[in-house]
Amino acid sequence: MKFSMMKTSGFKSLAFSASVLAGTMLSVNAFAGETLFSNYVYAVGPAGQNGALWAFSRDNSYSGVTLLNFNVSDKGNVVTEATKQAQVATDTLTAVQDGIFEDDLAERRRIPAVYAGSKFGLVLPMFAMDKDDRYRVPAGYYTIRDLGNVIENPIDVPSIVEDLDTLDKNPMMYATSGFAYDSTAKRLWIARGALGVMVHDVSGKKSADTTFILDVEKKKLEILKNNTKLDLKKNPEIFDVRLHPETGELWLATAKGVWVQSSGGLKNVSDKLKDSRVTGLWLGGKPFQVIAETAYKKGDDVVGGLWRVYDGAKDFSKVNFLDTAGKVQKKDVYDEADYTVSDVAFIGKTAFVLVRAVGGFVSGYLKLDSLGARAWEKDDDGKLQWLYGYETGATDRKATIVSMCAFPLTKNRMGLAIATDGNGISVSADSGASWSVVLNRAKLSNNLGSIRMVPSVITPGSEALVSYKVGEESKITIEVFSYDMRKVRTIVKDAVRNADASRSSNPKEDFWDGRDDHGKDCTMGVYYIRVKDNHGHIGWGKAMTLGGNFR
Amino acid sequence: MMNLKNLVVTALAVCSLASSALAGPFTKKSELGGFDGFVERMSGGVRELGRGNTGSADTASMPGAFWNPALLGFRENLGVTLNIERRDLDRLGGAFGVEGKVGKRMGVGFAMLYRGDRDFSVINDDDETVGTAKPFFSMFYLGFAYRATRQDAFGLSFSMSYDNLDISEYMNEMYGIDTEDAFRSPVTVNISWFRQWNAKWSSSVVIRNLSFSKNLSAKWTKNPSKDNSLASTEGVRPKVLQIGLGYRSKIMGKPVYAWMEALDYQVADTLLAFDPQLHVWTGRVGFECEIVPRATLRVGMDDLNWMLGAGYKFEIRVGRKKFPLEVNYAFLYETSAGLWSPFSLGLRGYIP
Repeated sequence: MKFSMMKTSGFKSLAFSASVLAGTMLSVNAFAGETLFSNYVYAVGPAGQNGALWAFSRDNSYSGVTLLNFNVSDKGNVVTEATKQAQVATDTLTAVQDGIFEDDLAERRRIPAVYAGSKFGLVLPMFAMDKDDRYRVPAGYYTIRDLGNVIENPIDVPSIVEDLDTLDKNPMMYATSGFAYDSTAKRLWIARGALGVMVHDVSGKKSADTTFILDVEKKKLEILKNNTKLDLKKNPEIFDVRLHPETGELWLATAKGVWVQSSGGLKNVSDKLKDSRVTGLWLGGKPFQVIAETAYKKGDDVVGGLWRVYDGAKDFSKVNFLDTAGKVQKKDVYDEADYTVSDVAFIGKTAFVLVRAVGGFVSGYLKLDSLGARAWEKDDDGKLQWLYGYETGATDRKATIVSMCAFPLTKNRMGLAIATDGNGISVSADSGASWSVVLNRAKLSNNLGSIRMVPSVITPGSEALVSYKVGEESKITIEVFSYDMRKVRTIVKDAVRNADASRSSNPKEDFWDGRDDHGKDCTMGVYYIRVKDNHGHIGWGKAMTLGGNFR
Repeated sequence: MMNLKNLVVTALAVCSLASSALAGPFTKKSELGGFDGFVERMSGGVRELGRGNTGSADTASMPGAFWNPALLGFRENLGVTLNIERRDLDRLGGAFGVEGKVGKRMGVGFAMLYRGDRDFSVINDDDETVGTAKPFFSMFYLGFAYRATRQDAFGLSFSMSYDNLDISEYMNEMYGIDTEDAFRSPVTVNISWFRQWNAKWSSSVVIRNLSFSKNLSAKWTKNPSKDNSLASTEGVRPKVLQIGLGYRSKIMGKPVYAWMEALDYQVADTLLAFDPQLHVWTGRVGFECEIVPRATLRVGMDDLNWMLGAGYKFEIRVGRKKFPLEVNYAFLYETSAGLWSPFSLGLRGYIP
């Protein structure tokens, strides 16, 4: 099948649809950045107006949203104009399920956040608690039109789930993992894993929900009924759903390939991915492209792949990884670790693909141009660096990036936003060349917190990170004392550290290597690390060194 | 006469403070900052702590086996001391001593010093606290003295250390490394001399941490891992020259005492080193005054740390026997770190 870009009149860019209202929404507030609901942000999404962005946070058991409004200064910097926040109505429900870090299945490691027009606003999944008080039970979805309309939309679980032991015991198998909104037909499509895809139809006077399962034999979407015999081989899981912005075709990422519902019927459109477990689909960009993620478990590993097809191409191709000179490499990031895709954002020709390592905290985004993912640097060991993140200025602390989106920043400029686990959000007005960090500084206590040495047991030459909180811009002094409080080392003196939610601070400087001021190994024992700021706060941490040779 | 007394006391203070001030530029040796380098500096006994950790030139200092084994030659009764120091940041220390007279001219004593941290969080690479360790360090002293004259005594003590880092369980869990927790040092030798010049002046000379190795250095190797996966540590306990001076007088009819100690730590595995960079110098000074009979107030300075102390002597009677006891308290301010520790208590007494 040829992938064509048919011109239809059905689609209008929702992102630009309300741009005329932008000016009236903005208000100058110098302390606007102080009101982010929480610095633990797990999803960002467009809000339908120029400069407007939604951020969904979860802080321990409380979840909430923040509506942020940005502008761009004459110098091209992002300026936070206003922020408002609201807590979700029910504290036993959230959009952030507890397995977002620990789960290794790609479709459960992201939070779909889709702008679904002024009718729904931002749409996010909703999870309830299981018997262990963990948010691991799919409970429906949120629609967030504005801060006064954070609406919980429960979805009925069909009675067949109770008959199927695997689903009954593991409700995350039918977790919501994708949304698509058809503004013409006024239908919200929801990918529900083992329970197929649901459509929430609001075109009539009364809304109606219908759930479909994919029948690969009949090549049809069939209505799921209470007497349906669900067979995951015949009715593969549907992990993601998208609508083609021009043709209105319904694209489905399934456990058995990529399926497209068009006027010509339902077809498995990729020979290469025919039997692949396709966990995500992202459509967009100029020229138009479709990016697909495949991921499956092989023993303890997750085998992942990144595929792409341009309009007019015959089939998907695996994404190439290029060195800094543009030469295609045999090995890529997937050879170093198991990655899953959290989000893809399109700005012009570039696709920004946010990935996160399974079983670790490594995260970053790939920049895909028409040839592939291009490395931004070759490090001292000759290793190519494909992941953009802390090292390229996307965050000012080593925080895990969990969500990403593109949104209309001004009438003529698209913005890029990332959400981090603990360090608020970062917004870029120049496609990732520079970033502005937005934090809830009020959430930061104005002290250093408990000082933690990470790790706290070292040998000379290894590093213990000095971890502390900075509530406001401070000049930090870090010193190491022996058991009897003789100073043996000054790590930094009056070093400027910006306010940040992350527990540490500057990993490139704020560490102790088990040595004294003269570079000599300190002898085996316990040492006490004092962190002082210029606001009168003092905190202490402890470290133990096992080495120390007499010299 | 009053002026002369004041002059002497002032001179002692100035000498000691000058010594303390000199300690700064030459305190460059990390080895003294280590877990086994501080015991000589921290000392034992709350009575002595309250007056700046001075005790080597006072026949009443306890435990004598630690301060100056020659002091044991002046014991008439069986003396016992028990001290507890609770310092900020979960540090807990203490000292115990028992000592007595042997024959007419000899004394013997045992001392144990303890320093530990009661709450050390073992944190792994992922910033997770995997447990709490209670590392400690202890020193044991066995001292002997011979009183050569009514004024002079010579002492000899043997010491060894035992320390336990208490982390092997966690190291295994975190890194799969079998580590050693406990380390014991070889026996080191300390020699000393005490002289009571007259009713007012006393002096002491103590040389610590000698051994039977080449250069008389007390050194050992610590291998923290059982499979040699971690680098071993070469330890050398610094040779210490400790010179003490004591002065007794009366001001306004109340007994006053001034104590001073100068210490030189030779941080080198050589017999004698003359390079000042291989020495750490420090000083201590302390004053005490028996403001009312039995009650003593103390003030002192050890290097840059300040101390205040108080003591009260009393007796308990059991049958016809009287047991003299003394309870002591000390307040400590660790200047460099800005920490103050208000809880140090000690009890000492004699069994006639």
